[in-house]
Amino acid sequence: MSEELRVSPIETRGVAGKKRYAMVVDTRRCIGCMACQVACKAEYDTPLGVNRTWVPYKVVGTYPVVKKQFLPRLCNHCDDPPCVRNCPVDATYKVEDGGFVLQRYERCIGCRSCMAACPYNARFMLPSHRTYTPITNVVDKCTFCFHRVTQNMVPACVQTCVGRSRVFGDINDPSSEVSYLVARNATQVLRPEEGTKPHVFYIGADRNQTEFGRDAYRKPEVMDLDRAAFRRHFNI
Amino acid sequence: METPKVTRRTFLKVSAGTTAAIAAAPSLVKAMENDLGGKDFDPVSGAERQAIPVNCHVCNIQDGAIAYVENGRVVKLEGNPEHVSTRGRLCAKGNAGMWYSYDPDRILYPLKRVGARGEGKWQRISWDEALTEVAAKLDAALKEDPNTILVKKGRDRSGGAWGRFMNTLGSATVLNHTSVCESSKKIGMEPTWGPDIETPDFANTKYVLNFGSNILEAAYFHNPLSQRITEGRVDNHMKIVTFDVRVSNTAGFSDEWIPVFPGTDGAVALAMGHVILRDNLQDSDFIETWTNVTVDALKAHYKQYTPEWAEKISGVPAGTIERIAREFATTKPATLFTYRGPCKHLYGSYNERSCMMLPIMTGNVEKQGGYCLPRGMGWPQPNPEPPGPKHPSYLSTPPDYPLAAHKVSHLVPFWIADGKQKVNVYFTYQDNPVYTNPGARVVWGKLFRDEKLIPYYVAMSSHMGEETALADLILPDCPYLERWEPESMPNSLWPWLGIRQPVHKSLGESRENRVMLRDIIHKLDPDGARGMKKFWDFKDGEDYMRHHFDNVPGLKEAGGLDFLKKHGVWPIYGKLDPKSGKVTDKTGREIKAEYGLYMKELSATDMAGAAVDGKGVISKNGKAIGVRRGGKNVVGFPTGNRLINIRVDQWAEYGFNPMPTFKRIPWHESMKEDEMILSTFKLNVHKQSRTAAVKWLAEIAHSNPAWMNPATAKKLGVKTGDLVRIETAVGHLVTKAYVTEGIHPKVISIPTAFGHWEYGRLATLKLKEKKGDWSHGADDPDLNNVWWDDRGVHPNDIIPVVADPIGGSQGWFDTVAKVTKAGPNDKYGDSQGDWDKHYAAYKETMRYAYTGDLHRKMHPEMAAWAGPESVKPKAGGGH
Repeated sequence: MSEELRVSPIETRGVAGKKRYAMVVDTRRCIGCMACQVACKAEYDTPLGVNRTWVPYKVVGTYPVVKKQFLPRLCNHCDDPPCVRNCPVDATYKVEDGGFVLQRYERCIGCRSCMAACPYNARFMLPSHRTYTPITNVVDKCTFCFHRVTQNMVPACVQTCVGRSRVFGDINDPSSEVSYLVARNATQVLRPEEGTKPHVFYIGADRNQTEFGRDAYRKPEVMDLDRAAFRRHFNI
Repeated sequence: METPKVTRRTFLKVSAGTTAAIAAAPSLVKAMENDLGGKDFDPVSGAERQAIPVNCHVCNIQDGAIAYVENGRVVKLEGNPEHVSTRGRLCAKGNAGMWYSYDPDRILYPLKRVGARGEGKWQRISWDEALTEVAAKLDAALKEDPNTILVKKGRDRSGGAWGRFMNTLGSATVLNHTSVCESSKKIGMEPTWGPDIETPDFANTKYVLNFGSNILEAAYFHNPLSQRITEGRVDNHMKIVTFDVRVSNTAGFSDEWIPVFPGTDGAVALAMGHVILRDNLQDSDFIETWTNVTVDALKAHYKQYTPEWAEKISGVPAGTIERIAREFATTKPATLFTYRGPCKHLYGSYNERSCMMLPIMTGNVEKQGGYCLPRGMGWPQPNPEPPGPKHPSYLSTPPDYPLAAHKVSHLVPFWIADGKQKVNVYFTYQDNPVYTNPGARVVWGKLFRDEKLIPYYVAMSSHMGEETALADLILPDCPYLERWEPESMPNSLWPWLGIRQPVHKSLGESRENRVMLRDIIHKLDPDGARGMKKFWDFKDGEDYMRHHFDNVPGLKEAGGLDFLKKHGVWPIYGKLDPKSGKVTDKTGREIKAEYGLYMKELSATDMAGAAVDGKGVISKNGKAIGVRRGGKNVVGFPTGNRLINIRVDQWAEYGFNPMPTFKRIPWHESMKEDEMILSTFKLNVHKQSRTAAVKWLAEIAHSNPAWMNPATAKKLGVKTGDLVRIETAVGHLVTKAYVTEGIHPKVISIPTAFGHWEYGRLATLKLKEKKGDWSHGADDPDLNNVWWDDRGVHPNDIIPVVADPIGGSQGWFDTVAKVTKAGPNDKYGDSQGDWDKHYAAYKETMRYAYTGDLHRKMHPEMAAWAGPESVKPKAGGGH
């Protein structure tokens, strides 16, 4: 690994002089429009069947008191990422200044250890066919739009977020919008018990600590038929 | 395999730059937030992509967008950060719009039918052959009667080109798709306050009543208004209450979802008005000053609409109606929004008016945070302009629907079959009634297959839609990213002008529609001898645009079309603030909208030569231009008398109730215990018919099981995934069930956009089949990854026509259906309808027209009306 892309074993939250990017997902503002998911597909020419970000929903309550809840999902860019620890070939690494957890495609051997290690199901294997990007058959994931953020742009999902539910910025800067939101609101992270120190903070996902957090992984039965079709297509 | 070329070194450089900026300005308390848009980079090479501003046209919200081009291909679309309404964001559909252009099954060359109609055999021909053929057919039709040339256009955003084309030919037979959309909402609103839509100030309101709009997924104006709804909800602590038959994303987001029996929203709204007036919570001053009724008259009229009466009809408890009415009337500012829920019924126009009465009687009109008039901008048409047609057309101004100014196009197949008007040449543009209209292939499919009724049919289309597949000639149209078009939409409180411009050369031999129309006229009148060519003196699409935009005051000084080519939109109201996501002025403050448009004072020039009558109406040259109120001469509302017409006298002429009222749908009153209402809806990621071949959207939603309540499912003995048979008066279909708590127990609901039998191989899931001879798009290797195998079932074959006798709208949500567990002979995807039964439904619905035998029975309160004979037929059989 080159000196330029050195793996950081150091947690950078709160370290002076270092940036620590984070995302706040305000579920009170999420309207479930799926713009983020599609913008991400376009940004990366992400193939069908896999997603860097996605938006599961759940219908809660009993007629006539019913509500729909959305929980936008993506890589948590953990400060202590289990995928990095579990990669046998250093293909997965953490960028010290910024906190991005990234993937080096030319090192990836496709062993899927990182996929198994990730408690958030945020990683996937790229299929052989893509529209125009020649990177295939390696593991891919959300990059927090490293290539945009380093050009001082927000990630593509944040850029297009209709409800402004997704907010992105440097949480090491106390006057940033993400710092403000995290300081002023009750926030949650997914699976805090895993000790991964996620850097995607949710507002209004408090039920996520209880049944909703688990239900985000237990997909609604209406999708059973689709899941079966998916498995048939990919011979899973 | 390539590695990202953005190295850590580059990253550090960027960071260093940022740090330096902060050091240089120590007083800066704001963080350096990352920018919200305007640039895009290749994630692999890091190269900056070329940005071209356009106007989105996946649906009709008309968001400002930027197309990012790399290697000659649009790879990314995002909202235009300089656009005041869109503020840099696009919805899921807008983000996927490039697949209209790059669909592997796109039509790229003129095609002539060689087999029987609909057989799918096509021959590629040259443009010259195609234009010669069309010109010959038009020539023959013109000799007989120009009105035998018909166009039915759907999503026409040609900026007046189609009107120019039909006027050049002298035909009045111009049909649209508004009657299957929201026309009765428009007809409810227009005579009342002028415009056909409202702009609720969601960002600044404290209370929202939403009757049957799914604004967070689909309705006008999804993206811009959704942005303001989340702002109002979280930043301004507003409350939103949604009345709907099911938990849409909007109902699910709302503080309260109140399920309501289909078509009864109007009764609930009237009962809320009753509570407000009974408890004296109305804004008497506003009613007395700005409307054409008195508070006393209104109170007397609303006495009949008690909450108990509405509860019996709608199922909404009287206590809930009382509570919501008081909350709405005592919270200021408050606003209201409706869409298809109230208006897509037999008497949808009445429902719409009943709803809009609530913000009117509480004086919330044109207030900050209230119920505002739409703000739009126009553009001039090029000169010279062709004169209008000489004779009216029965099909576009049907005499039985004199108030339906947005037409009754969904009844056209029956009128053609009945011989009401002869058709020689039928044009379609951005329309697909074989899929989108009631009766679908059973009605429109039959019409187009009948060469006696439709002797020659030209489709202008980029896709082999259900309708295009039945054409005689296909002219390859350009998707929106390859067209020049002017644009404006009242999708926020700030008016704007925008453009679409081609992001690259049109693919294959496709031509943009305006150029195609010019080419037809030039072929028909090559030397100008027929007097047609002079109206079509444009070099190309861009030249046509210059005629629109180079002389608009204000824009002209800014650079005219060249400004729009660079920015996509004009004016630019401010800068998108990266911290708040709002548009800010030079001082960093959020820009403010203008309110109280109706109170704008008339100038001395306006008043020169004007007369004021006893009621304060200011008239000039026989036209009301304003009203005098409180000693001031103001513009008032854009209606005939410059006031809000709570009483619409014109309706009474035709025996309709001029006051806010409600009519229960007669066949809903006699429903049997095992019968339900079949309703349809749109999902967040699809539009009506044109997105099924957009892969990213189809991946998210590709099938459409029928929603039903667990109580209903239990009665039927079905669970999610089981097959059910849905039977209506005109046919039956077999589909899967989706059991959910989020739907009224008496409603079964099916989303549209699915179950295509044409529209290319992705929409029909025939990806393993050979490409059709007509298809010339480039292959997409990613389609090997299509993993879903269910394309859904389309419900329109079994939905009969209903026409609102006032607004002419289709009653989409009036269908009574019997739902049972599927039998042994029922197969998934079965869909059968019967022309004769659809025809009977058409005959039945016309009985409600003002000329029909049921009109009087439905309006006992109008007993004094002298009957249809008393209304002198207006020239042209309509308005």
